[in-house]
Amino acid sequence: MSDLAWVEAERQGTICLVRVHGEIDLSNAHEVSSEISVVMGQEARTLVVDLSDITYLDSAGVALLLRLAERLRFRRRQLHLVVPRGSPVRRVLDFTGLPRVIPLESRLEDALAQRDSTQPDDFP
Amino acid sequence: MATREETPKAPPGGLGTAATAHPWSYAAGVLLVAVVYYTAAKLGLRLALVGRNITPFWPPTGIAVVAFLVVGRSVWPGVALAAFMVNLPISTGVLPAAATAAGNTLAPLVAATLLAKVGFRREIDRQRDATAIVFVGALLSMSISASVGTGVLVASGALPADELPGSWAVWWAGDAMGVLVVTPFVLSLVLPWRRPGRPRWKHLEAAVLFALTATVSVVAIGADPHLMFLVIPLLGWAAWRFQQRGAAPAALLVVVVASWAAAKGVGPFRAGTMLENMLILQAFNATVAFCSFFFAAVVTERMHAHQALERAAAGLEARVRQRTSQLSATNLQLRKEIAEREESERRLRQREGQLAEAQQVAHIGSWEWVIPQRRVSWSDEMYRIHGHVPQGFPVTFETAVDQVNTEDATRIRSNAEASLQRADDHDLPNIEYRITRPDGAERVLLGKAKLYVGPNREPLRMVGTVQDVTEGRKAEREHRIAETLQRGLLPDRLPEVPGMALAARYVPAGADMAVGGDWYDVVELPSGHIGLAIGDVAGHGPRAASTMGQLRMALRAYALEEPSPAEVVSRLDRLVSRLLMPEIVTLVYLVLDLDSGTVQFANAGHPPPLVVGLGGQASLLEDGLGSPLGCDDPGLPAQASFRLDPGSTLLLYTDGLVEQRGASIDEGLERLATVAAECGQDLEAFCERLLCSMVEDDTADDVALLVIRPVPLTGRSLLRVPAEPRVLAPLRQTLRRWLRESDADPQIANDVLLACGEVCTNVIQHAYGAKEGPLEISLDLRDGTAEVTIRDQGRWRPSSGIHGGHGLPLIQELMESVELTGGPDGTVVRMRRRVSSGSGS
Repeated sequence: MSDLAWVEAERQGTICLVRVHGEIDLSNAHEVSSEISVVMGQEARTLVVDLSDITYLDSAGVALLLRLAERLRFRRRQLHLVVPRGSPVRRVLDFTGLPRVIPLESRLEDALAQRDSTQPDDFP
Repeated sequence: MATREETPKAPPGGLGTAATAHPWSYAAGVLLVAVVYYTAAKLGLRLALVGRNITPFWPPTGIAVVAFLVVGRSVWPGVALAAFMVNLPISTGVLPAAATAAGNTLAPLVAATLLAKVGFRREIDRQRDATAIVFVGALLSMSISASVGTGVLVASGALPADELPGSWAVWWAGDAMGVLVVTPFVLSLVLPWRRPGRPRWKHLEAAVLFALTATVSVVAIGADPHLMFLVIPLLGWAAWRFQQRGAAPAALLVVVVASWAAAKGVGPFRAGTMLENMLILQAFNATVAFCSFFFAAVVTERMHAHQALERAAAGLEARVRQRTSQLSATNLQLRKEIAEREESERRLRQREGQLAEAQQVAHIGSWEWVIPQRRVSWSDEMYRIHGHVPQGFPVTFETAVDQVNTEDATRIRSNAEASLQRADDHDLPNIEYRITRPDGAERVLLGKAKLYVGPNREPLRMVGTVQDVTEGRKAEREHRIAETLQRGLLPDRLPEVPGMALAARYVPAGADMAVGGDWYDVVELPSGHIGLAIGDVAGHGPRAASTMGQLRMALRAYALEEPSPAEVVSRLDRLVSRLLMPEIVTLVYLVLDLDSGTVQFANAGHPPPLVVGLGGQASLLEDGLGSPLGCDDPGLPAQASFRLDPGSTLLLYTDGLVEQRGASIDEGLERLATVAAECGQDLEAFCERLLCSMVEDDTADDVALLVIRPVPLTGRSLLRVPAEPRVLAPLRQTLRRWLRESDADPQIANDVLLACGEVCTNVIQHAYGAKEGPLEISLDLRDGTAEVTIRDQGRWRPSSGIHGGHGLPLIQELMESVELTGGPDGTVVRMRRRVSSGSGS
C-alpha cells in the first residue's frame, strides 16, 4: 500500500475497528476501500472507521464512505465513523450531509457505545 | 600567261563586219590602211629590179596581211584603193593598174583567210605559226599576186613574154618577202607588251644588238659578198634573246639592207645578172626570214613549253605541297586520335582499376545477369565478399542464389521473378540478406538491382551491386545498445518540481569518453516527496553501465513502494548481493519533503552530500553512512535527516569531482567546500563553475553532479501536470507550501486545498474521457487574497457535475468566488479566497 494512506485494523468482539491514516483522494480511494474490506473480514458485524488521523479527504473519499456503507447495509452490517471536532475532514462530511446517512461520532468511545445500543436490533 | 591563248581570227561576219559596227571608224581604218599601204609601196618601189614595178621586196603585201589579220578583212577597199593608186602611174593604163591592184588585194586576202583557217597566231610563237606564214601566207598566197601582176604586164605589152618566168619569180619573191619580213615585224609592234618590268639591261642589249646588226649588214653586204652570212648569228641572237620582237625587226633590217644592195648593185650584186642577183637576194632573204622565224618560234615555243613545264611543275609542286599538307594533317589527326584512344584506354583501365579498388574498399561488389544468354558475371569483389578467389568459378543465377541462406534465397527468387514479370526498366526493391561463406562465416549483404528490358519489353539484363554491411550492422547494433544504456543511465530530463530548482551534469572520463558507471536520478514519489539519488559503479564500459542501469531501475521501483530511504538502500543492498554484481557500488539516496524542508537519507559508502546555507556556509552530511552495496553488511544502513531551508543548496556528486591526482580526498573535499560556498543564484552556472574548477580536462574518472535548491513558492506560480490521479498528492504538497508561505490561515488553507482538490479531481475524471491531457494550475496572491485558476483543454461532460451534485456547491461554500467558463477549447475555473490579513508577498 502506498504511503499516501494506510490502514490499521483491530477486532473487539464483533466490532472491527479500522484506523485510516494519511490522505484520501481519487488516486487511492479505491485502494483504501479494498484494504478496509480485506482487514474487516467476514465475521465482524459492525465496522467502525476512525478518520482521526486523516489529513485530507475530498468528495472521492466521501464517495468511498457512501459506497462502503451501501455495501455493508446490503450485508446487514453497520458502519460508524469517528471524526473529531476541528478535523479538516469534518467540514466536507458535514457539507455533503454524510452524517445523515452514516452515524458519525466525534469520539471513538461514543462510536463504540453507540454500536452496543444498536446491536439488539440486528440480532433480535 | 593564260591570256596568250587567245587566237586572233577574222571577225565572224566576213568582209563587211567592221563596216556594220562603226561606219566612221571603219572609214578611218580603210583610209589608214590605204595611206600606210601606199607609203610602204612607194618605199618598196625604190627597190624595183624589173622595170619600175617589179621589186624584190614588196612591203605593202606584208602591211595588207597585217591589216587583214589585225583590223579585219573588211578593210580590203583601203588595200585595193592604195594598190590601184600605186600601180596607176607605173602601169600602161587604168585597166592593167586595176587588175594588178586586184591581184595585190586578193593575195593578202587569201593569205589572211588561209592563215585564219589554219589557226595562225599573231604572236608567231609556235613552229606551226612560222610554217603557216612562210608556206601559206607568203609562198602560196603570193603566187596569186605574182601571177596576176606579171600576167597583166605581159598582156599589156609592158613585159616581153620570155621574161615572164623571171619577172614572176621576182614578183612572187618580192611579195613573199614583204609578207615574211614586214608582217612579223608589224605584228610584233602591235603585240601587246604584256610583260612589264623588262630589265634595263635588256633594252640596252636590244639597242646594241640592232646597232650591231645594222652595222654588220651594211658593212658585210656592202663590202664582201662572202661576208653576208655574218648577219646570221646576229639574227640568232635576236631570236634567242628577244624572240619574234627581236627577230622580226632584225630580219627586216637585214632584208632591207640586202634588197637595197641588190637594187643598187653593190656588194655581192655587183657582177651578177639581174636574175642571178635576184636569186641570191631571194635566197639570202629567205634564209634570213626562215632563220629568224623558225628560230624565234622554236625559242618561243621552247620558252612556252618551259613555262608550261614550270607552271605544271609549280602546279604539281603546289599540289604535292597541298597533298603533303593534307597528308600531314591527316597524319596529325590520326596520331591525335591514336593518342586520344590510348589516353581513353588508359583512363578506362585506370577507372576500372579505381572501380575495383573502390569496390574493395567499400566492400561493394557488382554483377550483371544477361538474361537471354543465362550468363552471370561477378566483379572480383563479389567473389571476395562471398569468400571466393576472384573469378574462381563461373557464376549462374542458381549458383549465386545457392550461396544465400535458405530463407533469404526464397525472398531473392521471388523478387527476381516478380521483376521479370514486369515489362519495363525498373529498380528492384533493396534487399538485405545473409550468406554463409565456405569457411562458415555469416555475412550480411545489402543488394540493389535494376532490370533493363529490350525493345519488345523482354527482359534483357539485370545489373546490381552487393554491399557487405556486416560490420556496419554490428556497429549499428552496438551503438544502439550503448545509446539505450546511456538513456537507461541518466534521466532524459529532470522533472519540473514546483518550488525546487534542479541542475545536473554528467562528464564522461576524458580518456575514452566511454559510458561510465556514475549516475543520478530524480524521482517524484507518490507522497509528493522528491527522491534524489546519486551513485557510482566502479569501472567503465557497457558492463558497468548495464549494472548501473539495473540499479537505477531497481531504485525507482523500490522508491515508489517504500517511503524510507534506509529501507530502499537496504533492498538495493540485498539485490546487489543476490545478483552477485562484482563491482563496488556506492550511492546516497535522499527523500526531500519540500513542504517541510525535511530531508531523510541513507548513504551506502558514497562521498557525503554537501549543503551550502543561505550565508554560504558549506557543510558535509557525514551522518547516515553505511558500507557500499553488496558487502554483506548485516542490518539496515543508518538513516539520518536534516532540514533544507528554502534558498539552501544541496550538492550531490561522485568521487570524480573530488579525487584529483596527487591530492587526498580530504583536500578535494575542502576545495569543494570553498568553491561551493560561492554557489550563486543560477544553478546551471554553479554546475559549470564547479566542473571548471574541480575537474581536469583529461579526468580519468567520470563525474556526475546533481544540485537541488528549494525556492519560495510565494506570489505567482504556474503548475502544469498531466491530468492523472497520481498528480493530486504532489499538487497538494505544492499548494500547502504555497499557502503556508503566503501566510494563509491554516483553516482557510484547508478550504482552498479542498476546493482545488475538488476541481482537479473533476478535470481528471471528466475533461478528457479516456484520453490524456494537461492540467494547469496557476496560483496568484494579491493583497492577502489567493486566486487559483485551473484550466484544461477538454470538455466537461454534461452529466458531470461535481461529485454527486454537491461538488460545485461545496466549492462555492469553500471559496468566496467561483467562476466557471466552459468552451470548445477547454474549461477554466477561477476561484478566490482571502487567506490572510496581511498584504501577502
